[in-house]
Amino acid sequence: MLDIRPILSTLHRHKVTAVLLVLEIALTCAIVCNAIFLVRQRLDWMDISSGIDEANVVAVRPVNVKPTPDMHGRVQETLAALRDIPGVEQATLTNQLPLGGESWNSGLKLDRDVAQPAMHVTNYYGDDLIKTLGARIVEGRDFNPGEYAWLDDITSGRPDVVKPHVAIVTQFVADRLFHGKALGKTFYYDDIPMRIVGVISNLARPYAFDRTTMYGTILLPVHMTEGLGAYYVLRAKPGQSDAVLKAAATRLGSLDPNRIVMTKTHFSEVRDTFFASDRAMARLLVGVCIALLVITALGIVGLGSFWVAQRRRQIGVRRALGATRGDVVRYFQTENFLLATMGIALGMVLAYAINIVLMVNYELPRLPVVYLPVGAVALWLLGQVAVYAPARRASHVPPVEATRGN
Amino acid sequence: MLKMTHLAKVYRTEVVETYALRDFNIDVKEGEFVAVTGPSGSGKTTFLTIAGLLETFTGGEYHLDGIEVSQLNDNARSKIRNEKIGFIFQAFNLIPDLNVFDNVEVPLRYRGMKAPERKQRIMDALERVGLAARARHYPAELSGGQQQRVAIARALAGSPRLLLADEPTGNLDTQMARGVMELLEEIHREGATIVMVTHDPELAARAQRNVHVIDGQVVDLSEEPRFHAHNHAQTARS
Ligand SMILES: Nc1ncnc2c1ncn2[C@@H]1O[C@H](COP(=O)(O)OP(=O)(O)O)[C@@H](O)[C@H]1O
Ligand SMILES: [Mg+2]
Repeated sequence: MLDIRPILSTLHRHKVTAVLLVLEIALTCAIVCNAIFLVRQRLDWMDISSGIDEANVVAVRPVNVKPTPDMHGRVQETLAALRDIPGVEQATLTNQLPLGGESWNSGLKLDRDVAQPAMHVTNYYGDDLIKTLGARIVEGRDFNPGEYAWLDDITSGRPDVVKPHVAIVTQFVADRLFHGKALGKTFYYDDIPMRIVGVISNLARPYAFDRTTMYGTILLPVHMTEGLGAYYVLRAKPGQSDAVLKAAATRLGSLDPNRIVMTKTHFSEVRDTFFASDRAMARLLVGVCIALLVITALGIVGLGSFWVAQRRRQIGVRRALGATRGDVVRYFQTENFLLATMGIALGMVLAYAINIVLMVNYELPRLPVVYLPVGAVALWLLGQVAVYAPARRASHVPPVEATRGN
Repeated sequence: MLKMTHLAKVYRTEVVETYALRDFNIDVKEGEFVAVTGPSGSGKTTFLTIAGLLETFTGGEYHLDGIEVSQLNDNARSKIRNEKIGFIFQAFNLIPDLNVFDNVEVPLRYRGMKAPERKQRIMDALERVGLAARARHYPAELSGGQQQRVAIARALAGSPRLLLADEPTGNLDTQMARGVMELLEEIHREGATIVMVTHDPELAARAQRNVHVIDGQVVDLSEEPRFHAHNHAQTARS
């Protein structure tokens, strides 16, 4: 039995209170829709693949308190010692970590004479980096030993140094610059032509803010030297990353007491740090949603209780005229459903308005339509749950209430 | 139609037990118009609320239309109130947020009646009480007499077999009271059983039979109704 018309006319006579509750529901609906969308986006972003064997990669960053005269020999000796640790698959010294905090960047040109680079990318250095990170070659090959040069030689400006002239790019770069057919193509790096010898599946860069830059990555055949934020990166055999990390830190120290281990970390910690602010934002938004929903629920309980108290007599009269307890509960549920529906309808418009503001100011995508029914169902349920206690109390007003009290 | 035997109603609070009704016996036949009189606090309203299934009783038996009502559950009692009984209260008890039409509609909706039939019955009932033109008015826009006529229309719309009225003219002036009484008499002539509590001797005198209640018990004055009712009614104000 639907009481809609008389309930609406009753609400019409309590307009101010009804409108306030409708607005509260609308605002909650609008904010919750947008917040859930934002949280969803953060979670998607936090879920982004780094393209490496995350579970087994660990990293150690040393600093040298004293100058090291033979850097090349030292790096080779250290790598040999690290590769010798039981449980180590591969090890290298690299300039940066995927999802790390500091990045080495460059601009790629397709034409030497154009001033503006076609794409900004990050460059990874380090021998056997692909094997060490567990990245995957999609096309072409890894660097040959003869293609490598030492970083300090390259930057020394000595004329006899042969700079690298080959590169490996990610699928993302291949798609962006070469329509997916990058193998054998050339780009200019510092006006040096570089031939692409390999394409790897997407490898995340450090210091990225969205998916449009995350995989803008190239690899160059450069032997990294210690310092400048370089990391020794090791890939452990499955289940041995704890032991490998411990052993690597110890071995670095024992090879040279003047080398201090600044950072030793599992890759999972690197990832956690990278997404820390996103995680905090997602938690905050979830907190705001819960707070809003609780406040709205309390509003519904409060107004429901107030109306039950105010209408005791008419509830008694309705009972006297034949309303069952169920009818009384249904009356309040229907009333709440109508208020919620009005609030939700208004809330959807408001949700889009908020979304447009966010789109304009924070370059957010359009709110997908699916979030609206999610918000609607959430508020309908919330309303029905919240109004149940007052409605039940109303149903226990005895019919004799109609005759007593005057 | 309505038969109570040795009925008792006790109100218990933490400190006292009040016997609102004790060994209360009454038998109202189908189609009768009975006026109930008695001093204030004698148990008239209590009797009416039990008769109308608004309240349960403590002891004895009550048969309504042949049914022993103490066996019925809450929903069954609601259904009987809705279908068989019409209530008229001293305080009118219209729902202030609903207009006249919607007020009269309330019991019909609980009966699950279809809209066209509801509308027909509502307009007929309002026609009878002379308020068809006021269907869109709210109770606050009507005089006391008009409000009570709306309440009567509400009681009538469901064509109840039994009409229970608790001092229906108690809040009205003589002129209006007379109008209400005429309406009740008309309804009675059409076959309804009416039990009316009143302290107005003039109105009591117009009923077929008077029942006098003192201290929660019936003193049957059916032998000489007019005379006695008159006397006792003068002492009763509640
Ligand atoms: N809800 C109640 N709780 C306690 N006592 C009540 C209650 N209702 C009525 N009474 C008592 O029952 C007696 C009969 O009351 P009532 O039926 O209202 O009398 P009347 O209508 O004849 O004035 C009175 O003594 C009254 O105080
Ligand atoms: Mg009374």
